[in-house]
Amino acid sequence: MLLGAVLVAAVASAALFAGAVAPFDPAALDINAILSRPDLRHPFGTDELGRDIFSRALHGARYALLIGVAVVVIEGAIGVALGAAAAYFGGWMDALLMRVVDVMLAVPTLVLALAIAGVLGGGLGNMILAIGVTGWREFARLVRGQVLVIRSAAYVEAARAVGAGDLRVLGRHVLPNALGTVIVFTTLEMPAALLWAASLSFLGLGAQPPTPEWGAMVAEGRGFIGQAWWVSTFPGLAIMVTVLGFNFLGDGLRDLLDPRTARGF
Amino acid sequence: MTRYVAHRLLSLVPVAIGVTLVVFSLLHLTGDPIRLLFGLNVPEEIVQQRRDELGLNRPVAVQYARWLTRAVRGDLGESITTGDRVVAMIRPRLGPTLELTLLALLVTLVVSLPAGVISAVRRNTVLDSLSRLTALFWVSMPTFWLGLLFILVFGVMLGWLPISGRAEEFWSWEGVRSHILPVLTLGLPPAALFTRLTRSSMLEVIGEEYVRTAHSKGLAERTVIVKHALRNALIPILTLIGLRLPWLFGGAVITETVFAWPGMGRLLVDAVLKRDYPVVQGIVMAMALLVVASSLLIDLLYAYVDPRIRYQ
Repeated sequence: MLLGAVLVAAVASAALFAGAVAPFDPAALDINAILSRPDLRHPFGTDELGRDIFSRALHGARYALLIGVAVVVIEGAIGVALGAAAAYFGGWMDALLMRVVDVMLAVPTLVLALAIAGVLGGGLGNMILAIGVTGWREFARLVRGQVLVIRSAAYVEAARAVGAGDLRVLGRHVLPNALGTVIVFTTLEMPAALLWAASLSFLGLGAQPPTPEWGAMVAEGRGFIGQAWWVSTFPGLAIMVTVLGFNFLGDGLRDLLDPRTARGF
Repeated sequence: MTRYVAHRLLSLVPVAIGVTLVVFSLLHLTGDPIRLLFGLNVPEEIVQQRRDELGLNRPVAVQYARWLTRAVRGDLGESITTGDRVVAMIRPRLGPTLELTLLALLVTLVVSLPAGVISAVRRNTVLDSLSRLTALFWVSMPTFWLGLLFILVFGVMLGWLPISGRAEEFWSWEGVRSHILPVLTLGLPPAALFTRLTRSSMLEVIGEEYVRTAHSKGLAERTVIVKHALRNALIPILTLIGLRLPWLFGGAVITETVFAWPGMGRLLVDAVLKRDYPVVQGIVMAMALLVVASSLLIDLLYAYVDPRIRYQ
């Protein structure tokens, strides 16, 4: 978990200080240094346009975290709203949500996100939206479970007994108590969000070149893999390190939350 | 058993209907399918004419009913770019995708079941904690990057294996060689996850009384582990396979793109990039139905592994 925190902090500081730390402008072309091997001047080498991959990878951290957080926020908002409504009101609403979850379980998230991003027209914003509206299933399930437990707590009964309306009970008494778990869960959802986003960008539907987004950078380097292994390898490594950081962090948090599964994974 | 199967089949109906709703809505997401299908530069008269032809001026419910009846008959429309029937385009792609996903699943299980059992039997050794660490590494790996690394190492540097494409003849030297890298790319990362699950599932079962009974009967350790423990530990593993099925097809889309594999996934990516929406709809539908059918298969396997389900 400590290692996870360190990795995530490293990526976050790369994102924050990319402008100051990066030795080169991520968009600066250098025709004298096309596809040059990693050396002291360019630790990760340069790409087919002579851009410094190390600088681009640092700037990529911004995109990765921004995309990841945006996706998780959308997923969380949809998941919390649907999950809470289903559990709190029960009956047909709950039945409907569970059927929708069943359907979402049948359509591969990546495939649906790919199709929606395609229909919306690609690009960074549309990709985030596409992943957000397809990936909320786990959030909804989690919130539903939480609210089912909280709903029957004595303080909720008390609030209702003094005449509080449904919305007030949900907003003031139920949701704040479910919030802690939801926030921890966002850490667990980050790896998936990051991987989906990088995959869509790799497939050409997310961030477009010349954006220094890691998935798009891997895709750009694909054509030169025979001559210049470093162009694809380093951005991919950056994705892996970031996802690994969140996985370590989430794994540790999960153990703290639920000691029962601590020996599990 | 018959009741169980019938019940399972019936529960699939709402899911299948839901899937068709999702697929149908795809085209209507932006509000104007015609503009989506034919672009923004088409004159207004032609747009109106096409709209009448395709029945888009009728209520959405009627459109859905019409689309659904045709889909049930196996008519998913025509490709905008080539004019070919969508079903005819998907059919030859089905085999390569199923081949890739099934072989990958096989690799996952062949690696993870023994590894998980060994981890459980030798729990809390260095080997065990190493496998926990490795598991997190593997699940953090982007599929497309792993594929490229494989290409780099085994294709470009060592020159051992072909870097793309699928040899027509499976039962040949070339055929086997062309399958190795894509199958490993799709099959190895989940193996780490399955190893961990097999381990915890085995640990739970090993503590049960019937395992002790088997031991005290004097059965060999091997027999106890394989026949008494593993068989019962398989149930959560089946559940995980069911949960990972959608992921398997999602991963196939990426793997097929990286290795220029002639499957449904690559057709999907091509269609999305060319904005060929009927093809996109057709593949999303086909993949969802494949997932639904395979989860039915898993449910039947449950009944096979666990007699309690059969006699309920």
